[in-house]
Amino acid sequence: MSFFRKKKLFLLLIGIIILVVLIGFSLRDRSNLTTGEQFVHDIIGLAQNIISTPVKYVTGIISNIDDAKNTYTENQILREKLAQYKALIYEVQELKGENAELREIIDKSETIRSYNPIHATVTARSPERWIEQVTINKGSLAGVEENMAVITAEGMVGKVQSVSELTSTVQLLTGFDAFNRISATISKEDDKNVFGLIEEYDAKSGSLLFRIIEESEHNVEEGELVFSSGMGGVFPAGLLIGKVKEVIPDQYGLTRTALVEPAANMYEINNVIVVERKLGKGEEQ
Amino acid sequence: MRHIILPLLLLLFVVLEGVALDILPSSLIDGNLMITPHWVLMFLILITIFYDDNNSIHSIIYALIFGLLIDIAYTGILGVYMFTYGLVIYVIHGMKKLLHSNIYSTLLFGIISIIIAELIINLIYFVIGVMNSEWLDYLMVRLIPSILANSIFLALIYPLFTKKLEKWKSYRVN
Repeated sequence: MSFFRKKKLFLLLIGIIILVVLIGFSLRDRSNLTTGEQFVHDIIGLAQNIISTPVKYVTGIISNIDDAKNTYTENQILREKLAQYKALIYEVQELKGENAELREIIDKSETIRSYNPIHATVTARSPERWIEQVTINKGSLAGVEENMAVITAEGMVGKVQSVSELTSTVQLLTGFDAFNRISATISKEDDKNVFGLIEEYDAKSGSLLFRIIEESEHNVEEGELVFSSGMGGVFPAGLLIGKVKEVIPDQYGLTRTALVEPAANMYEINNVIVVERKLGKGEEQ
Repeated sequence: MRHIILPLLLLLFVVLEGVALDILPSSLIDGNLMITPHWVLMFLILITIFYDDNNSIHSIIYALIFGLLIDIAYTGILGVYMFTYGLVIYVIHGMKKLLHSNIYSTLLFGIISIIIAELIINLIYFVIGVMNSEWLDYLMVRLIPSILANSIFLALIYPLFTKKLEKWKSYRVN
């Protein structure tokens, strides 16, 4: 009998040792997934592709019914906005044309703004709620690479965390910690742009912490839009991140932090665009 | 046939967990309630109770394999679900002869297993720093809804699979 007790204890200890080794292995700063992991990702990704289509279809119908209720009021607001946009579109076209012409003159065709879009569909979301990640149905075969930004029509949702052949996992903005910083900017007139870093997601206030580096008299106001600045060397510039909700000083009163509400809804993501920055990644990073 | 169908069903549940949060209305997820689907664990409970006898350990082996699959596919931190599911199913496997196997004892084992599993998973994530907030607060808003949701799921799959599992068990024994 005592032999069996010892055996159980022994098994438990071996289990804990394996657990620690595996966790240590996966938390290590590794650049690629192992072949085994990629294989599992691909197999499960295939099954998810098959399963998620009918599920999305059904949930789509339900949310469509919800939407139909609000259609009329929404339609009126949109009509008003459309009238404003027509003038804006004309202006943008003019500016774009002029910009392209000027670029040709100085022989510089690509900026940190330009990117190649890779369209993808979300097939699964991690059931573990502490880990905010979703799986998309495009992988390295489609050109997806690690650390690329992922956006929806509303704004940025996250970045690519790991890639296998056919699928990749995306870490959502709500899962960003202190190791995933985005250099961001608030664009203002007359060269008064405010620069800073999106440092992490604060679950309590439900917002991203935008630490303003440049100590300046430029005021950050509520409701201003925060864009990626492209200075981090990974993401292109000009991706919408969110809206300023509140500005608070830090505990020493030396810097200010803006609470930024993400522009995209993190819970209803269906179609995303993986953003491949055209200009080479910063070597100094 | 039964050699293939159990792993396939478990794989199906692993895949379904990925879309589980899409099925729920977003108002539930958006708020503070956190529901974690443990469908694989629920099915493993059925396998332990109705497919395994005292000497066979199919359910523990399945728990280790499919726990690892969940780790790879959904969290990227290997070993957490593998260790937890393996341990929980091992405990349930040892406890199951204390009670007759019917729906009430199954639900009881299901609830016990979710509590143990959530505690161990949260403890590990807390230690390695994935979860850095005051976890006791979060545990309450997460544990009780999870127990409710998963018990409902277990009650739903109970009539679907118990007869089949017992049939497969009798094939295996003979």
